[in-house]
Amino acid sequence: MWDQRFETIVRQHLPFLGPEEPLLDGTSLRDSGLDSLAMVELLATLESEYKVRFVDEAMSMETFATPKTLWSAMSDMLSAPA
Amino acid sequence: MTSAIVFPGMGPCDFTDVAKFMLVDRDARELLATASGALDYDLFARYRDSDSDYSEYAQVAFLVNCVALARWAERRVDLRPDLVAGPSFGGKAAAVYSGALDFAEAVRMTARLSRIETEYFAAEQRGVVTMSFVRTPQDRLREILAELDEAGEWYEISCYVDTDFWMVTLHERRIDWFAQRLRAGGGLPLYVMGPPLHAAAFQPLRDRVEAELFGSLHFTDPWIPVVADQDGTVRDTADGVRAMLLDGIVAPVRWPEVVDTFQRREVETVHVCGPDRLWGRVGATVRNFRTTIVDPRRAMSPIRRTVAA
Repeated sequence: MWDQRFETIVRQHLPFLGPEEPLLDGTSLRDSGLDSLAMVELLATLESEYKVRFVDEAMSMETFATPKTLWSAMSDMLSAPA
Repeated sequence: MTSAIVFPGMGPCDFTDVAKFMLVDRDARELLATASGALDYDLFARYRDSDSDYSEYAQVAFLVNCVALARWAERRVDLRPDLVAGPSFGGKAAAVYSGALDFAEAVRMTARLSRIETEYFAAEQRGVVTMSFVRTPQDRLREILAELDEAGEWYEISCYVDTDFWMVTLHERRIDWFAQRLRAGGGLPLYVMGPPLHAAAFQPLRDRVEAELFGSLHFTDPWIPVVADQDGTVRDTADGVRAMLLDGIVAPVRWPEVVDTFQRREVETVHVCGPDRLWGRVGATVRNFRTTIVDPRRAMSPIRRTVAA
């Protein structure tokens, strides 16, 4: 499960997800308002906050499908040797 | 205070995002009726039933919505722009709004142009597409393009959006490779558009459009100057606007040049009128101007009224 910082950052980029609505594993980020440029902004924020760098497979639209797929990609980067 | 209106280039646009606006807004309804009359078919029904993001119907509907949203902004927020610009597809709405081209003529032009382009790319330069991508600095792009040069592959930069945001036209057989090279450097491929856009190799298409279509169009001098998306020059004559639209087929969009012209003309506020997901949000725009987005969602939002104490 993701941490609170991730939840806060992701929610800031989802204009169609109300504050009372839960962010679930399978919540569609696109349907919640994450369009292409919002995705670019979210990427930049995550990279800056977590000191990671999205490249290669992590830079696909599939990564940004749901909170679960995004956190999974983040976890891989965070656990990779520096 | 100097302001400019920008009509966005066309991107994927869900019918459900604009349908209510088209049916409810008074200017949209009026323009929709005019467009349907000019085309001799029910534009709304054809658009609803269309399965392509860039079909003739989607293109004309996009034009209708851009012009309708500008009129909405005139009515509701007293929009009175000093300059007009329209990157890529937005040039059509810019020509209409500036007064250089009658709306019904622009509707017929858009539909006919779409048909000519479809025919052209089905027969010539088949398999050529335009890809947009972001997070790719110029040096990195240069490296990837050098690899294409080395492989003897043709390509053209079709759109300079921002310092790290581009559109490149190339053959679809190279798309997967290109996307992989972009991702390796942290770039993000966004869309692949067909038919492709803005490349010098499309000169035969430009010639055909001029001969078959533009000869019958009647342009007049605009009453609001138009900033050309190819080079940022200010067009204040009928011929200037006409050339801007035709040259768009073969010349890349250079949005930073438009931004430079806005700055030289001391533009402070930019109103982006249309179903936009790019031009009103890209760094080159929002870094430099107070930017407001006038899209169907905003036009359909309840109006906040201030009650006097």
